Amino acid sequence: MARLKDIMIQWQTISGSSVTVGDVTVTPQSRALTVRWPFGGFVWNRPVAILVERDGPHFVECMRVVDVTRIIQLGLLGFSLVLSIAVFGMSVRRKEHRS
Amino acid sequence: MSSTLDEMIHSVDKYQEQGQVWMEKLLTAARPEAVFGEPVTAGGYTIITASEIGAGGGFGFGAGGGVSPAATSSEAPGEKQEDSGGGSGIGGGGGSAGRPVATIIIGPEGVRVEPVVDVTKIALAVFTTAGAMLLMLGRMNSMSRK
Repeated sequence: MARLKDIMIQWQTISGSSVTVGDVTVTPQSRALTVRWPFGGFVWNRPVAILVERDGPHFVECMRVVDVTRIIQLGLLGFSLVLSIAVFGMSVRRKEHRS
Repeated sequence: MSSTLDEMIHSVDKYQEQGQVWMEKLLTAARPEAVFGEPVTAGGYTIITASEIGAGGGFGFGAGGGVSPAATSSEAPGEKQEDSGGGSGIGGGGGSAGRPVATIIIGPEGVRVEPVVDVTKIALAVFTTAGAMLLMLGRMNSMSRK
């Protein structure tokens, strides 16, 4: 059995190699969750943002990479949870009112 | 018996090394290069794809050995007869998945990040949520009638 101290968890933001097109330099950034244990592990890596440099490194703009699909999925989950709790509360109240 | 034990220790060391090599390969998925694709230039526009990546795996190994009971019982005093054996094995599994999240477009009018919407995933989530809620509402209705 893997001992707890052998399990390594890393959550880090890493910058990739820059891409220069004309006077614009784009540096992508990703965030990776790495979980490692003695006989295995997993990695979850997703894009976070891009750093856009125009006219040299003095003007740097950070543009976030938004995962629309994930936001909609989580929104649906949240909506269904809230609605479920509301309906459950209403039914409990109705039952109490009847008795 | 000692030679079998040596072989087993050697094979376990070999498997552990092999496992470490697999793990190093798996961890290359944590690099930003795995998430952002190579820039593609066409018609004055440079496009970089951005994807979400997940990869995981594990492995295990085992080894064992023993001496035949017949060999130990029939052994006469002073006579050294060895009838032993051993074996070892390794197994593992893993998988990876990727999904496009956005495209980065560098053009004459500037830099744009265009999200990629996975309609199939959203539709599946909508149907699953709607189904689960209808099921729950039906059960609650039948419970309140009792």
